Amino acid sequence: MIGCIFNIDGGYLEGLCRGFKCGILKQADYLNLVQCETLEDLKLHLQGTDYGSFLANEPSPLQVSVIDDKLREKLVIEFQHMRKHAVEPLSTFLDFITYSYMIDNIILLITGTLHHRPISELIPKCHPLGSFEQMEAIHVAATPAELYNAVLVDTPLAPFFVDCISEQDLDEMNIEIIRNTLYKAYLEAFFNFCKELGGTTADVMCEILAFEADRRAIIITINSFGTELTKDDRAKLYPRCGKLHPDGLAALARADDYEQVKAVAEYYAEYSALFEGAGNNPGEKTLEDKFFEHEVRLNVHAFLQQFHFGVFYSYLKLKEQECRNIVWISECVAQKHRAKIDNYIPIF
Amino acid sequence: MGNLFRSEEMTLCQLFLQSEAAYACVSELGELGLVQFRDLNPDVNAFQRKFVNEVRRCDEMERKLRYLEKEIKKDGIPMLDTGENPEAPQPREMIDLEATFEKLENELREVNQNAEALKRNFLELTELKHILRKTQVFFDEMADPSREEEQVTLLGEEGLRAGGQALKLGFVAGVILRERIPAFERMLWRACRGNVFLRQAEIESPLEDPSNGDNVFKSVFIIFFQGDQLKTRVKKICEGFRATLYPCPEAPADRREMAMGVMTRLEDLNTVLGQTQDHRHRVLVAAAKNIKNWFVKVRKIKAIYHTLNLFNLDVTQKCLIAECWVPVLDLETIQLALRRGTERSGSSVPPILNRMESFEDPPTYNRTNKFTHGFQVLIDSYGVATYREVNPAPYTIITFPFLFAVMFGDLGHGMIMAMFGAWMVLREKPLAAKKSDSEIWNIFFGGRYIILLMGMFSMYTGFVYNDTFSKSLNVFGSYWSVNYNASTVMSNKDLQLNPSTTDYQQYPYPIGLDPVWQVAENKIIFMNAYKMKISIIIGVFQMLFGVCLSLWNFIYFQRRISIYCEFIPQIIFLCFLFLYMVILMFVKWTNYGPSTGDVKTGPYCAPSILITFINMVLFKTNSAPAVCDAYMYSGQQAFQMLLVVVALICIPWMLFAKPALILRNKRKMHVPLNSNHHNHAMGSENGDAEAALSQAQVPPPLPPHKEEEEHDVGELFIHQGIHTIEYVLGSVSHTASYLRLWALSLAHAQLSEVLWNMVLRNGLMFEGWVGGIALYITFAIWATLTIAILVLMEGLSAFLHCLRLHWVEFQSKFYQGMGYHFQPFSFEAILDSAAQGPEE
Repeated sequence: MIGCIFNIDGGYLEGLCRGFKCGILKQADYLNLVQCETLEDLKLHLQGTDYGSFLANEPSPLQVSVIDDKLREKLVIEFQHMRKHAVEPLSTFLDFITYSYMIDNIILLITGTLHHRPISELIPKCHPLGSFEQMEAIHVAATPAELYNAVLVDTPLAPFFVDCISEQDLDEMNIEIIRNTLYKAYLEAFFNFCKELGGTTADVMCEILAFEADRRAIIITINSFGTELTKDDRAKLYPRCGKLHPDGLAALARADDYEQVKAVAEYYAEYSALFEGAGNNPGEKTLEDKFFEHEVRLNVHAFLQQFHFGVFYSYLKLKEQECRNIVWISECVAQKHRAKIDNYIPIF
Repeated sequence: MGNLFRSEEMTLCQLFLQSEAAYACVSELGELGLVQFRDLNPDVNAFQRKFVNEVRRCDEMERKLRYLEKEIKKDGIPMLDTGENPEAPQPREMIDLEATFEKLENELREVNQNAEALKRNFLELTELKHILRKTQVFFDEMADPSREEEQVTLLGEEGLRAGGQALKLGFVAGVILRERIPAFERMLWRACRGNVFLRQAEIESPLEDPSNGDNVFKSVFIIFFQGDQLKTRVKKICEGFRATLYPCPEAPADRREMAMGVMTRLEDLNTVLGQTQDHRHRVLVAAAKNIKNWFVKVRKIKAIYHTLNLFNLDVTQKCLIAECWVPVLDLETIQLALRRGTERSGSSVPPILNRMESFEDPPTYNRTNKFTHGFQVLIDSYGVATYREVNPAPYTIITFPFLFAVMFGDLGHGMIMAMFGAWMVLREKPLAAKKSDSEIWNIFFGGRYIILLMGMFSMYTGFVYNDTFSKSLNVFGSYWSVNYNASTVMSNKDLQLNPSTTDYQQYPYPIGLDPVWQVAENKIIFMNAYKMKISIIIGVFQMLFGVCLSLWNFIYFQRRISIYCEFIPQIIFLCFLFLYMVILMFVKWTNYGPSTGDVKTGPYCAPSILITFINMVLFKTNSAPAVCDAYMYSGQQAFQMLLVVVALICIPWMLFAKPALILRNKRKMHVPLNSNHHNHAMGSENGDAEAALSQAQVPPPLPPHKEEEEHDVGELFIHQGIHTIEYVLGSVSHTASYLRLWALSLAHAQLSEVLWNMVLRNGLMFEGWVGGIALYITFAIWATLTIAILVLMEGLSAFLHCLRLHWVEFQSKFYQGMGYHFQPFSFEAILDSAAQGPEE
């Protein structure tokens, strides 16, 4: 029954998305990619995959940045296509996905203007999924209140920003705080939205978003060591929709060093496994990569169920991971730095 | 000329080519298109092959050509397509080509850059022109004497309060995209807290965006504000919204002067722009003449290097080794082509072509011409024939249109179809040259000969059914006559004609159906009985033919065991049950009739074939009215029982005989072989037991294990069981399936009759000039519906049913369809697919 109703509006797009998903590179493709000697080889191999001739019209010699741009462009075109065909509530869901890119863009622009970079130089660096009309005029604002009143009040991010207005001025520390507060509000809103949608979408998305929230909490904690951020302020930045909430977050708020964070994670089976064997020494994977791997796993699982919106989110995230992988491999190839070329994160 | 009835005999060849001559030889082979190369380095990545650099250079050249093509298309210059097919250029010419393309591309890029810069300049000037013109209006409004007073006092008071200084309003003027105005205005209001005054006016004519040539609509705006702080802020916002600001002098005289200056500069720019465009046009026209030719050349080079990448290098590095599938009959031609290639390259060592022994299944290659091609495609879309198996395509050429026509039988509709087909066939060359992108048209055009034949056969069956747009033709004059007097005819609704009296001339209408049936009430009943029997007769004979083709296959592949254990019981089963039924139909047609004096052979006693057949299979006795014979001939019951019993015996025969024989043969092999070689045993790893038997002298390389063997036996029985069940049940269901011939034919006839009665007849009911108009309208409707529903839709449905009858009912009797296509390396195919590709 749910399937019937779902397919009226979402069937085509879900099918489309699953079709796109089949184009995600497999392990065998990666094995071939890492053998490439030059970027031309890489291009030749990618031609044989779903990417087809996306680089065919680029003049040689290829640059990694061109590959990156083209990869992103392809992904954005696919996503925009789905967004344009979506109806409520899927359209809101897809919009929610883009909000995170908006946050990134805003932070990027504010940081850029803080360092007196011309805005025209910053705009191309923004993610196209997160662009909005008023974005380029962001450097008008000098304080968070102005930012809110002049720029953000018309954007969908406005409700998330309410908590940040109190900050006095825009320095680096405050920007970080704004970013994390925004993210926190965004994640919680997205989490609640998915919960309201209910059904399989809630099951799948809450799982993924809970992990995202916990990852942020852990990373914020680890990164805050040795900065002037107080523990109280830090605790305010934790998104409260993860599995760590409320006990784990409280414990994280008290943590003073990496070992204590690890100790907190011990209580949660899936996170303790991630901390296990993570490290910065050669041969070990960094905690960040471990997190990415776990995220990929969750996203791949989203495709096991049908009739839900999670596939769209997961598809985007998996594809982003793939872009990161390809760019990583291309960088390694371009810089002839083959020792770390295997540090990509396989998806299938 | 190859064998029409089977696919070409193929052989695997090894080809030794001298490195220098390889390119020219492969080029010749590509023109020929008769050789399928095998990939000898399947484990090597695409980018690790030998000629990957050359392939890459070709890719680069193609990219440049695509760029040129895009530019040519943008300017709408026609590209010359002479259809000529230049030979693949020599490798050394590649450098020349590369240089030419490089030069062209650079020239074009330079021109484009110049043009873009000029256009940008032009755009800026046009925008400035508009600004000057529009702001003039704003300033004029301000200078309006009626408002002046108000303004002066307003400013005056404020000026006094500000401390006596004259307060001066600053302003900026610029141009912005029209859709951005609302957000821009809101932002200005918010960021400046309402302390600015914005006026805007739309520029009516669209402006050209120099970067991509799109037309965009823009608006002129002017913002008044006070103070420097606001000025920076406004400027920032303008920048953020990508508005372009232009200097605009305050004094009217200055503005007028500036406007004049702008106008003259615009004029100058226009001439320069025109020259640039002319230059660009010249370059592109020159390129457009050759571009198709270049594309062909580059694609050929690329194809050759791709093929060379499949080859192996021998140890001495002097020679390339290739393996290829070749039709045996064409070995001579290929040798000739190779020799030509060697001569062209100037090499002294001739290439060597060796035939190789191979256990691999060769590809299936059916030589076709434009007539047989369509039919071969119909067969191949079910499954490509196993190598050298009987190819059903030649028979399909006749049976397919015929079965279609049985369902579609209507002289009028058939004629429309035949005319359409004939038009496509007659105008073949011009139509083919057009290369339409429409998929539907390409399907129709590809099947033009099928459509023509289907149309002609439909005309024939329509003539036999005496059906033309649901009406009959009275060609020879009906052989029936009405002998009632006029008053009887007028007063009675239903009257019967008695065939045994003078109502009927006692011999039938020369060909087809007597037109008298058109007015008969019982036409449908009569036609049903006739068409049903015809369907079964046609079906049984087609299936019998299919089984006979399997015999031809078995003889060819020397599978004697299959002849005895499959073909013979199959044919017995089919003949004894279904062919017998068909024979009974003929007996009934010839023996029973109205004119004989004997009541036993009269209509009253004519037995139902269907009931007789059912009773026969169920071993029941026939029942009949007292005056009649229950049977059509003496001893019928005993004979029928014999037939059924023999047919039933065929089932276990089919089921067990073959596996049992294979098993016995295997045991026999085991004993002597085991005594000689311990490990060698007769086996059939590939499941092809017959092949193993016929090649008894070639011991299979792998020693089969005991387990595997038992597994094999089980599999053998299951396999045979499936086949048997499929055949036995299939014979029944397939025979019934042929009734679709009757069903569709009935539906078609009824539909066309309904269409006539419901639509066209209404138009024929009026008199006088009204009738003309009514007929005009109804005919239009009737004709449209006839074409759309009866010819197109019904035609499609009959086509699909016919396809099914061939694929399932006919081919399942003998056709394996486990082969794979022969895909020769051919420039023609490569160029065709490349030409299709970019248009997607």
